[in-house]
Amino acid sequence: MAVSGSGAAGGVRPDLEQVFRVHYARVVAVAARVLGSRDQAEDVAQEVFLSFGRSSVSAAEAGGWLSVAAAHTALNLLRSGRRRASREVAAADGAQAVPDVADAVVVREEHQRVRTALSRLPRKQAVALLLRHSGLSYADVAAALGMSPGSVGTTVRRAESALREELNRHASPE
Amino acid sequence: MRLRSDRHHPTDGVLRRLVDEPAGVADADRAHVATCPACLAGLEAVRADARVAGAALGASPRVAAPAGVDVDTAWARLASAGPAGRAAAPARRGRWVAGLRRPAVAALGVVLVLSGAGVAAANDWLPIFRTERVAPVAVTETDLVALPDLSAFGDLEVTGEPEPSAVPDAATAEERSGLVLPEVGELPTGVTGDPTYQVVDQVSAVFTFSAAKAAQAAAATGEALPTPPPGLDGSSVRLQAGPAAAAVWVQPSGVPVLAVGRAVAPTASSDGVPFETVRDYLLSLPGLPADVAAQLRAFTEEPTTLPLPVPADLVTTAETEVAGQPATVLASRDGTMAGVVWVEDGVVTGVAGAVSTDEVLAVARGLR
Repeated sequence: MAVSGSGAAGGVRPDLEQVFRVHYARVVAVAARVLGSRDQAEDVAQEVFLSFGRSSVSAAEAGGWLSVAAAHTALNLLRSGRRRASREVAAADGAQAVPDVADAVVVREEHQRVRTALSRLPRKQAVALLLRHSGLSYADVAAALGMSPGSVGTTVRRAESALREELNRHASPE
Repeated sequence: MRLRSDRHHPTDGVLRRLVDEPAGVADADRAHVATCPACLAGLEAVRADARVAGAALGASPRVAAPAGVDVDTAWARLASAGPAGRAAAPARRGRWVAGLRRPAVAALGVVLVLSGAGVAAANDWLPIFRTERVAPVAVTETDLVALPDLSAFGDLEVTGEPEPSAVPDAATAEERSGLVLPEVGELPTGVTGDPTYQVVDQVSAVFTFSAAKAAQAAAATGEALPTPPPGLDGSSVRLQAGPAAAAVWVQPSGVPVLAVGRAVAPTASSDGVPFETVRDYLLSLPGLPADVAAQLRAFTEEPTTLPLPVPADLVTTAETEVAGQPATVLASRDGTMAGVVWVEDGVVTGVAGAVSTDEVLAVARGLR
């Protein structure tokens, strides 16, 4: 069978759609845990799948790879957009004069604290924490991060302990 | 055992796993923790932190269940942001192929080769197509959908699976369909790699004319039902198409870009009055769209003429010759898609794709 050499569209993999359909919800969920926003999480998912489409990661490893990529991309976004995001939140607070505004503010503030705490965790701890809380098994987290299953528990435990401390610290009035 | 478990307090990591994946923790460790006050206290602290983290990470009302995610829309977004070139303008191609996929096509037995690829393509393109469904493109689709409105004149029973199934290779496709798949000489520019293979098993539709139903349908359009020929009421016509096999080249983004396939040409037979009688009577019925009528009229006129229910506002047709046989060229008006179909010895062969008319003809004439 003759194969034309020209016009190949950048080497994007043919199983992209199948992988996308299987893993999209999970990828969005991982990113949403970091960002607290569905819209932002879906943006992250688009970026992650575009990268995946250009990669040669095997389909068997796709789930772990995508989850890790979602966590990293979302955490990166958190870091780069933290200042901007807090300004936006402040602006939104002023604009939203709805009855449950008090509740909304509390939720937003709590989320801001979680994001701040996440962004201060060592990256590997943060990613392991996110993957585990997104439903990946210890074995899956281990495979995705290249760790031994035994050390996943230790890493997640450290992350949770640090997260609690960060949350407590930021919860107390300054 | 006892000595050993007393000596070793499991690590915090083991305690953490005990919280939510206890099956992954060694029996000895579990046994130890169950009877060790220090470890039980540690486990409680680990559990509390895990709970706080779980609440913090899942607390946002905006982080709803993943079930709320619209995967189709998201995929359409990704596909439209995908690689340039032939992946461009997928919506228009999708619309055309989705049209071919309509039940009407199968029901009238004009499925042909394109549908094998077309159905597969429509499956892939459907999400893209869906994003377009609010656009005012429905005129032709209405016509296509109107085709099974033959069910307004009787009972239509479709048997067989009109969906294609993927098979691993050409040999399997040929074995299951009983057809020889032609080999492609040179692929058009931009079409690369190995094809995937699809098979559609034989599909048949039995249309049983009902004078009572037809009278109702006619009354709905405000006209009287022409008197049915004697013996027509309750008689059946059987329309049959397939099996079919196709080789489909898929764009790296997942969009099908070229299909070459064969199908056993559609046939019609009847158990009572001759098919031509049923056909002519159907043609006289009020409410049958003109183009559908023309296609129905063509059904048995010429073995080389296929009644393709193409959406006329999107697709042009022309006559040509392939391998010494008269062939029909189809081209989308926007130039994004072309196909060619011909019949030889009761077998339909077709080539179609997101290519130009020249390219599709080059592939068709280069088949071996």
